[in-house]
Amino acid sequence: MNAATSAENNQADLADVARVLAGDAQAFEGIVRRWQGPLINMAWRYCRDRGRAEEMAQEAFLRAWRGLSCWRRESSFSTWLFALAANVYRSELKRFPTETLPLEAAPEPAGLATQLHEIEERGQHEVLRRAVLALPLRYREPVVLFYFHEMDLAAAARTMGMPEGTLKARLSRARALLRQRFPRLEDERGARKVFTLETGKEAAR
Amino acid sequence: MNRAKTNRSEDERARSEMEIDHILATEEELLPSSGFVSAVMDRVRQEAALPAPPPFPWLKAIPILLLASGGIVWSAVEMVRIGLPGLDLTALGQSAQSWLTNPLPPLSALQVRSLEQAGWVALALGTSLVSWLLSRRMAGRGGLL
Repeated sequence: MNAATSAENNQADLADVARVLAGDAQAFEGIVRRWQGPLINMAWRYCRDRGRAEEMAQEAFLRAWRGLSCWRRESSFSTWLFALAANVYRSELKRFPTETLPLEAAPEPAGLATQLHEIEERGQHEVLRRAVLALPLRYREPVVLFYFHEMDLAAAARTMGMPEGTLKARLSRARALLRQRFPRLEDERGARKVFTLETGKEAAR
Repeated sequence: MNRAKTNRSEDERARSEMEIDHILATEEELLPSSGFVSAVMDRVRQEAALPAPPPFPWLKAIPILLLASGGIVWSAVEMVRIGLPGLDLTALGQSAQSWLTNPLPPLSALQVRSLEQAGWVALALGTSLVSWLLSRRMAGRGGLL
């Protein structure tokens, strides 16, 4: 999201919040329309289940509606909304955890030759994304939010309400755990380059 | 040789991290389903239509809370008194006064025990108060405090 859009959204949020607090419930629709995409995508990264992501996002909007008067305008509306949504998603997933394999059980292709085809056929990247859900909670959430915020460490730290240094340390540990589980990741990148040179088909990737 | 090995493993680590970044950062965006906004707004309207919850009756609650805390303090004093029949509270008050004038008075084992018990009671009361304040803060309610 660029700075101009962000400023426009902020203005629109302020106006809508003021209207809602003045008693116009319908004004909340503007907020839902603007933030439905980000909140659903954030929930998706937490659970990787589309239906559940929408339910969790709906719950987050309802909590935002109920707690709108608690937003103290110390941070932007989006920062407040993301932090609230993260709290909702965290507690929802504590109540009803997603079914995930343990990290050690996440499959990895046996060899490079088959790996290349499996990347094509079965979306091997999805395996790594799902493996994130098998990380311990203290490492999982920093990973989810860091990549959701397009690798903006400060934004992820604000959403988690955590110092940037702590978040950075947890990210580093999470990456180390993923590297241990998927030791051939660097090979995959190398193999993809070779594949590109040989076939010329993969240049668009 | 060792340095070369270390450099190679550092390179591998960096490449691996780049790959993790690449995979996790490039995720296809989900589009919200067409009925999402109306589903949320239906629930919002339902909630808006409900009558506002009545405000907490602080005027009635404050005397009750004061009475209850008075009762707790009285029970604590009674418990100390009954538990330690040999202990004279007036004497305890006097010793507390002398404690203020003389910072290091010699305390008997009995006095130490009774002070310890009173300390536990105070700690329990303090913990209850803190947990009450925290629960109000977490629930995002304003009000008295």
